Amino acid sequence: MKKRARLVAAAMTLAALYPQPAAAQEHTAVKAGFALPANSGKTILVFRPAVRVGAQSTGGLFEPNGDWTDRARANLEAALAARQAALGNIVLAAPVAFGDDARLVEEYQALFGALSRAVIGYQFFRGNRLPTKKRENKAGVFDWSLGSGVSALPGAKDADYALFIYDKDAYGSTGRKILQIFAALGPGIPVKSGEHAGYAGLVDLRSGDVVWLNADLAMGGDVRTPEGAQKRIGQLLEDFPGSTAAPAAPAASTK
Amino acid sequence: MTRTRTATLALFAAAAPLFAMPAAAHGYREQGKPVAVAASTLVVIPNRDWNQLAGKPGKKAERWTLDGEQLDQVTFYGGIAPGEPLLRERDRKHRPLPKLTRETLLAEVPELLEATYRTDRAIASFTLHDARPERFLGTDGIRFAYEYVDDDNLPRRGEAHAALVKGQLYMATLDAPRLHYFDRVAPSYRALIDSATLR
Repeated sequence: MKKRARLVAAAMTLAALYPQPAAAQEHTAVKAGFALPANSGKTILVFRPAVRVGAQSTGGLFEPNGDWTDRARANLEAALAARQAALGNIVLAAPVAFGDDARLVEEYQALFGALSRAVIGYQFFRGNRLPTKKRENKAGVFDWSLGSGVSALPGAKDADYALFIYDKDAYGSTGRKILQIFAALGPGIPVKSGEHAGYAGLVDLRSGDVVWLNADLAMGGDVRTPEGAQKRIGQLLEDFPGSTAAPAAPAASTK
Repeated sequence: MTRTRTATLALFAAAAPLFAMPAAAHGYREQGKPVAVAASTLVVIPNRDWNQLAGKPGKKAERWTLDGEQLDQVTFYGGIAPGEPLLRERDRKHRPLPKLTRETLLAEVPELLEATYRTDRAIASFTLHDARPERFLGTDGIRFAYEYVDDDNLPRRGEAHAALVKGQLYMATLDAPRLHYFDRVAPSYRALIDSATLR
């Protein structure tokens, strides 16, 4: 009993130290002045999603799982292929890259992931905005870029925009789930079990500017199953600019 | 008793990363206004507006950014004394950070930063290069460059300037993705270095 009281006190101190952020959180943004009407004839290059799936240890560390990652990658690619026609415009799958080209794609995907996390942390979350960006935020300015180096990506010269998809899923380990229950039974501090981050972004292949971003740290759908991956891709591409309502749009080949 | 304490510590350790959002607001460092950094006598004059991130990475360290620490990060270390680590030790027992010692030479500072990063960020890939003498804070200093990849799989470049003054280490570093962001932020970082003095 004494033990529990001590734990409760500890957890309450923690809860007081770290007040919960206000719930208001955006997750989509468009660069000012950007518009991509359906069937505009613009070409969108789609890269294979960057996927990392693993477990979350009791202490919150990410432990990669190769089997889950492979399964999730296959599921997400299939779900994306099924939806590509609905993206509208002309959709091209990025050419299969090898060697330095493949490394460059991977590095830009990692940069896109980091940029998305910065946007979530400092633009979408109102209470945490950076002072130098506050004025921009108030004016609804969305100004983020991967840099003009994107024009060196394989396939870039044949397209106007690139669609990047980045996914990181961490499923709570048994220990983590026990901690979650334990914390809820005690003082009710919210312990999150798992992390389900998904980012999709449309990038101008001349300037590297991110013209549309959909990024969320709490995505739905278990990407280890085909149905879950479909749900995830559906969420990621919600309100995709220039998308057509009917899934069977006349867009060009996706091969 | 010991078990209770262990359980309490475990709860703290497990819950701490869940509340990553800092409670305090980020600071605003206005262009042209001299400001003391890292709770020390190290003063810089920003040549453009900067953000000072809430939450200090160490007792004598402070982080600035333009677009978020994921994309660019300037860290100031103000007067690290012998026996002290550069950053706060998150797990003293299992992952102790290297400490500055009375015997540490300026030429050994790059290795001190490398060992600190390797332990603190669990980095497997870290390369030091291009260390050379360069004046910093009006005294003999060192400038060096490095590259590393941490657990977000994004290769980053770093540049550091350091000097030992009365046995204490003063240092500034820039860390940013080598794609686009490093070159974009480096001129603003170097302007901070050029303006740095000890009060």
